[in-house]
Amino acid sequence: MAAPSATGLCQRLRAWLPRIMPVRWSRYNPSYLEPEVNKELYQKPLEELTEEEREQMELKAVRPIKAAPPTLSSSVFSDPMISKFTNMMMKNGNKVLARSLMSQTLEAIKRKQLEKYHKAPENEKETIECNPYIIFHQALKNCQPIIGLSNITRGGKTYQVPVPLTDNRKRFLAMKWLITECRENKHRRMMLPEKLSQELLLAFNNEGPVIKKKHVLHKMAEANRAYAHFRWW
Amino acid sequence: AKHTEQHEGRLYNIPLEEVKAVFPHGLPQRFQQQIRTFNEARVMVRKPALELLAYLKGSNLAHPAVRYVIYGERGTGKTMTLCHVVHYCSRQGWLVLHIPDAHLWVKNCKELLQSSYKKGRLDQPLQASVWLKNFKASNERFLQEIKTQKKYIWGKHESTEEGRPLGEVVEQGLARVRSASDAVGVVLRELKLQSHRGSFRLLAAVDGVNALWGRTTLSKEDKSPVSPEELTLVHNLRKLVRNDWSGGAIVTTLSQTGSLFKPSSAYTPQELLGKEGFDALDPFVPIPVANYSPREFESCYGYYLERKWLQHEKAHTEDGKAELQFLSGSNPRQLDRLAGPL
Repeated sequence: MAAPSATGLCQRLRAWLPRIMPVRWSRYNPSYLEPEVNKELYQKPLEELTEEEREQMELKAVRPIKAAPPTLSSSVFSDPMISKFTNMMMKNGNKVLARSLMSQTLEAIKRKQLEKYHKAPENEKETIECNPYIIFHQALKNCQPIIGLSNITRGGKTYQVPVPLTDNRKRFLAMKWLITECRENKHRRMMLPEKLSQELLLAFNNEGPVIKKKHVLHKMAEANRAYAHFRWW
Repeated sequence: AKHTEQHEGRLYNIPLEEVKAVFPHGLPQRFQQQIRTFNEARVMVRKPALELLAYLKGSNLAHPAVRYVIYGERGTGKTMTLCHVVHYCSRQGWLVLHIPDAHLWVKNCKELLQSSYKKGRLDQPLQASVWLKNFKASNERFLQEIKTQKKYIWGKHESTEEGRPLGEVVEQGLARVRSASDAVGVVLRELKLQSHRGSFRLLAAVDGVNALWGRTTLSKEDKSPVSPEELTLVHNLRKLVRNDWSGGAIVTTLSQTGSLFKPSSAYTPQELLGKEGFDALDPFVPIPVANYSPREFESCYGYYLERKWLQHEKAHTEDGKAELQFLSGSNPRQLDRLAGPL
């Protein structure tokens, strides 16, 4: 039932070529399917699959599959936030360098926390967090602003109007502030991983220049409360 | 240090004071960081080290010194095996001459002086003084016992008489930095001549021995390249490694990471030493060091878990362990680098 329609679709779609052949986009022929990374799906025996999954498996035997992007990985240790952060740290497409800097940062955080842990007395040992991933996520969450400002022009004058932010925009702003802070306000000879680990630990405890920037933004928004009705969305 | 084959794969603890006394120089960088983080030094007992220790235990001191060359791919633990053997020997009371990395003596030298002792040779005061300081720190008690056998003249007004303890030669080298390389040469010569008497046993441990026979990156003032023979330190080391003395052993390691002008896939003695070096070192006992066996890998993984080094939640699962084993290929250095950020 799926087979004749699939071949018919393929016959019609194979001859379809887009008018412009893009070099860098991913403008695939619509018959291409997304790659599946989840290992558990392949390990399940046939009987446990539902109807849709069975159809999907049969389709995979016939249709071609798109190339997997470099951020997609089947490793158990991959984390989408960390990869986003590494991409933002990357310069001139040098992902190798960005990834090594990220791993050095995580290792530096772990070493600092473990040294503190081993020197602390027994009752304080449980309060010290040693997992660099938990520290990273918590620090990012602490840096995210709740409300942002946007420029709206009314009657010739531009006003800074407080505006709610989407989740993506909050995450982006937090990461951007961290990276710019680390690149600019450091001693000339200090390495980026060291400075980043310092900043992340401060942000984890709600201190540090990035948290201050967030508070400044909140205060500006609070001060400009009067213009909030300029927003129409 | 009474390790037998049953202990293979286990890790043994070295107390921190001994670490500072026995290894002022010589431990790899990552291992030193690990000591600082975990507050303890743990070395894994592996087959090559056990083999070497067995040979050393059964060696006859009247015969000329046997040469052992530890070789293997990158990151398999050659330097750590050497450090294990050095620790064992220092525990047993041998005099250990540990040169941390011979490659440091043939590259990146800021100051080269013309030698006053022989024309045509070049001195390296900085490296020589650093080595003398570390040698003094590790072998204090021997320096008082061993006496010089010849009169050495350092300059117009300084000389060391016969029968003075070796400590004075070392002090002289540290005080007058210009003659530090000559002091090193004197120390090596004295130790070689006196080791066959039997009052002490000498272990010459050289890391990166292929630096002694390759090329150097240094150049003289008229920009002509320097060959290793022209350096006093290298010349004296070559005399030490020639086995014309008895009463001890020579343990060396090949190293590709610091080597100059050698391809990165070279790891056998033939490739790394070149024809000259191979002929000079010819009758030697090769000791290959391989990646971790499954048992050693599990013991290393268990140690990291116990010390809370692997913090990622998924690292504690079976999947995580399988992935670590696959990604590192059971190579100790890769495993260490991978487990860092996790």
